[in-house]
Amino acid sequence: MAWNEPGNNGRDPWGGGNRNDQGPPDLDEVVKKLQQGLNGLFGKSGGGSGGGSDSGDGPGFDFSGKVVGVFALIALIAYGALGLYKVDEQERAVVLRFGQFLETKTPGLRWNAPIIDEVNKVNVTRVRTHTSQGVMLTEDENIVDVTLAVQYVISSPQDFLLNVREPEVTLTHATDSAVRHVVGSAEMTAVISEGREALGVDVQQRLQDYLDNYVAGLRIVKVNLENSQPPSQVQPAFDDVIKAREDEQRLKNQAEAYSNGVIPESRGRAQRVLEEANAYREQVVAQAQGEADRFLKLLAEYRKAPEVTRQRLYIDAVQEVMQRSSKVMVDVDSGSNIMYLPLDRIAGQVAPSIANQNRASASSVQQSAGALTPGDIRGLTDQVIQEIRSRQTNDSQRGSIR
Amino acid sequence: MSGRQMSILIGLVVLLAIVSNSIYVVNERERAVLLKFGEVVSTDIQPGLHFKIPVVNDVRRFESRLITLDSSPQRYLTAEKKALIVDSYVKWRVADAGRFYTATGGDEFSANSLLASRVDNGLRNKFGERTVYEVVSGERDVLMAEITKELDDIALNELGIHVLDVRVKGIDLPPEVSNAVYSRMSTEREREARDHRSRGRELAEGIEADADRQKTVIEANAYREAEQIRGEGDAIAAEIYANAYNQDPEFYSFHRSIQAYKSSFAGKDDLLVIDPESDFFRYLKNPDGK
Repeated sequence: MAWNEPGNNGRDPWGGGNRNDQGPPDLDEVVKKLQQGLNGLFGKSGGGSGGGSDSGDGPGFDFSGKVVGVFALIALIAYGALGLYKVDEQERAVVLRFGQFLETKTPGLRWNAPIIDEVNKVNVTRVRTHTSQGVMLTEDENIVDVTLAVQYVISSPQDFLLNVREPEVTLTHATDSAVRHVVGSAEMTAVISEGREALGVDVQQRLQDYLDNYVAGLRIVKVNLENSQPPSQVQPAFDDVIKAREDEQRLKNQAEAYSNGVIPESRGRAQRVLEEANAYREQVVAQAQGEADRFLKLLAEYRKAPEVTRQRLYIDAVQEVMQRSSKVMVDVDSGSNIMYLPLDRIAGQVAPSIANQNRASASSVQQSAGALTPGDIRGLTDQVIQEIRSRQTNDSQRGSIR
Repeated sequence: MSGRQMSILIGLVVLLAIVSNSIYVVNERERAVLLKFGEVVSTDIQPGLHFKIPVVNDVRRFESRLITLDSSPQRYLTAEKKALIVDSYVKWRVADAGRFYTATGGDEFSANSLLASRVDNGLRNKFGERTVYEVVSGERDVLMAEITKELDDIALNELGIHVLDVRVKGIDLPPEVSNAVYSRMSTEREREARDHRSRGRELAEGIEADADRQKTVIEANAYREAEQIRGEGDAIAAEIYANAYNQDPEFYSFHRSIQAYKSSFAGKDDLLVIDPESDFFRYLKNPDGK
């Protein structure tokens, strides 16, 4: 209680609340208290209230005034320091004073009074993504499975924080509603295939309208229709359509392949037919030319000696015919009785040997080259060999005499 | 001295208590009503620092932001008695804090349940007047606007609530109907698939037939041309022969006959039965030929 200092309230420069709290501590204790900082202040106040009167005025009073001043200064600095904050380039800070909207602060080092002001920092540049997936009805009462991603940023931190409770949930609901509305106003083929791009734009437009209506402080950057497909129950049928399209193309290709195979081949055959015809023409003409020339040349000679030439040609021709053919000469006196000639048998035996046939009734004339019998040939060869041997011995005898 | 200090201290504490009870803060996210012994004396207190008389006055705060009522999916019948499962949500906010407090006691849940039953009723009526096509695509916006306006009028008067928007999130078919739709969709696809395959075959037949036609035509044309060429050749040959042979028809027939004999008797199989009296054998019997 030694540090307690009563009765000096009037001189205290600080507020009335502080006045009672101060006590006049001893020097040593003052130093300790200083070190303890703010806690010490409260501790003392407790002591002050409980304590009564002690020492009179004197040096303690001056100390107490200074201590209070130092404490107050420290408290002020601490208070000021607590109010400092940093707003990042990506952020905006929404400041409420006594709960009322004051301002939105831009990036940099900022200060607002603690307790009085409430500071809420919001990232306004980060693009957030919300993904939504669902099965929904189309205009033609088909069912499609749609997955889409909504990219959005917070465009107004004030509205985002203060105007709508759970803005993200709001976005989820609005997205579901917008996408179902747009899909419900489109036909299934458009949703599944060609109209997807336009669908995304429509959803974005509609969703932005909803959010603007709610003043949610959100701006839709892009709506991507990531996937839109028929439900799994009918997926096989849809896949079959794709297969059927491929089949169509395949059949067409096969037919074209056939066509490509057949037509050039037939063109080739046509070419061959034409070439053959051309060849025939050339051949026929050339033959005609040749035969005509031959005839004309012969004719020229024939005209010089008609009789002889005609005779020679005739005999040559008959000779040739006779040479090549088998012959049966029938010497029949005119007016004799009918002769029987077994031509069919003769024809059958013509090939083996015609010389032995019908010697009685007919004489066969054979060409000199084919007249030798096997016996004749043997005799001839023997003679030839003997002749050669005798010549050889004569030669050797002559050689030895020399 | 001590007693005086004590009394001052107590006085200050009391003062502090009174002051702290006299000040209240309404946040930007809230609206408040001021009550005097339970009676509403001031409604729609704006955000900021406000004063009141302790004990006498009481403050009730309500959410002033937009609140979402997400109702559970309901089964509605359309004009053609088709069942649809409809999922909707309502966006509302406290517009008249006094009336809201009076009507609901400031309880958000009871407000939601009151609103939900009204929305349910409104949607049921609206769906009952329309066909599936109209609610799914045609008149969706109109329907929503109508129901929002009707609900807003009622809720503002009765509950002090401003209904900003009523939206249908999902309109789905009941599971048993969905299966029927799936099978219908499947058959539609089958139809399309069959169409594609048949078209493919049609095209293929056409292309192949065309190819066959071209083949036949090409070959026929080639045949025609070939015959023309052959005929041309024959004609030229005939002309050449005629020109040559006309110079001596008698010698030609002799010459030609001789050649014909030669080629006619070409082999050993040909058997000639010859009369030695013929002219050729004239010298065979008689060297004089007489």
